[in-house]
Amino acid sequence: MNGRCEAEVRQALRTWVRRYATVEVPESFDDHTPLITTRYLTSLQVADLLVYVEELRGEGLDVGALRPGVFRDIDTIYATFLAGGCP
Amino acid sequence: MSDPAGLAGVVGLTWAESGQATLAGPLLDLAERLDRRFVALARRWQAAELRFPPCIAAADLERIDYFRSFPHLTTFAVCLDADEDNLGRFAGGEPVNAGGQVTLTKVASVEAVLTPAACYHLYAHHRGLHLDAAAYFTTRATCFRRETHYRPLERQWSFTMREIVCLGTAEETEAFLEGATADVDALAAELNLVLSWAPASDPFFRPSRHPKYLMQQVDPTKRELLFDDRLAVASTNLHHDHFGRAFDISRTSVTGDVVQPVHSACVAFGLERWLAAVVHRHGGDPAGWPEVGP
Repeated sequence: MNGRCEAEVRQALRTWVRRYATVEVPESFDDHTPLITTRYLTSLQVADLLVYVEELRGEGLDVGALRPGVFRDIDTIYATFLAGGCP
Repeated sequence: MSDPAGLAGVVGLTWAESGQATLAGPLLDLAERLDRRFVALARRWQAAELRFPPCIAAADLERIDYFRSFPHLTTFAVCLDADEDNLGRFAGGEPVNAGGQVTLTKVASVEAVLTPAACYHLYAHHRGLHLDAAAYFTTRATCFRRETHYRPLERQWSFTMREIVCLGTAEETEAFLEGATADVDALAAELNLVLSWAPASDPFFRPSRHPKYLMQQVDPTKRELLFDDRLAVASTNLHHDHFGRAFDISRTSVTGDVVQPVHSACVAFGLERWLAAVVHRHGGDPAGWPEVGP
């Protein structure tokens, strides 16, 4: 994860979502807030977020292996793709 | 022609190599009775019926990014340029060669597509509409999709699609699909067809990095009703607010204080595939077919 710790990675994801969400993200937004059912992210943002997650990981993802729900919220994204890289 | 299932010999079916079927006699009668059953399902929601022309504006499909998603499926409506000299060159030449290929001269600008999915018309037709309550529609269309291979009744260039569509809030569209799924299950059981639902994705062009394909991977919104675990005879599709945004269709929230892009969902029936399922299950003799209704 390019040397970033968990808190930094989660903050980076939150910042990304706030910046690119299709609608205004409320103050109450946190790592358990649904990203897709709320329409913060549509297909275009999900594709871009995938690239950003790859950037955070420092390696590509196997798109064919993506499973339903893995982009549900930031907590799930972190646990699925980014956990384990911090001391 | 690919016909491993042997459906080309069914009485009332005339199959063309181009991937098109002509129906007659008891098979056509079965198709019409099945469609009436689908319409009967639509009545649960008092769905208004509309009948659209066979072509849809390319500009409307562009609004939903159709051509980047499904260029391989598209059939364009092409006309000759109206210039008299151009028409004369066409008529005076060899309009159709020995191989059955049209020898086109200059073509007019292409602005229309033969309908690829029945429900697209509904969103384009209702552009700019504001709804204070959920609205339901049904339509039937001959749809066109180019494929790499065809099979009688199972995979055709042109086929018949019946759809029931809900425009509403997210909750209303989800409730609609839940109800429609139960109704279709009941119909399948009545016809003694063993069918099963499975998650599905649309056949996107170059899917690996296509945003909508990725979205269907991580947020499955399409399910297909499979006969024999392989042939999709129906599908349910949750579009979120994709079409509402594309065609500026809005819905007041249930609480009445917010206007948002409308959500939509549809259930689609492939009529010829239902015929295939009935024939596979009950045989080619109409005497063995289940009672479908009037």
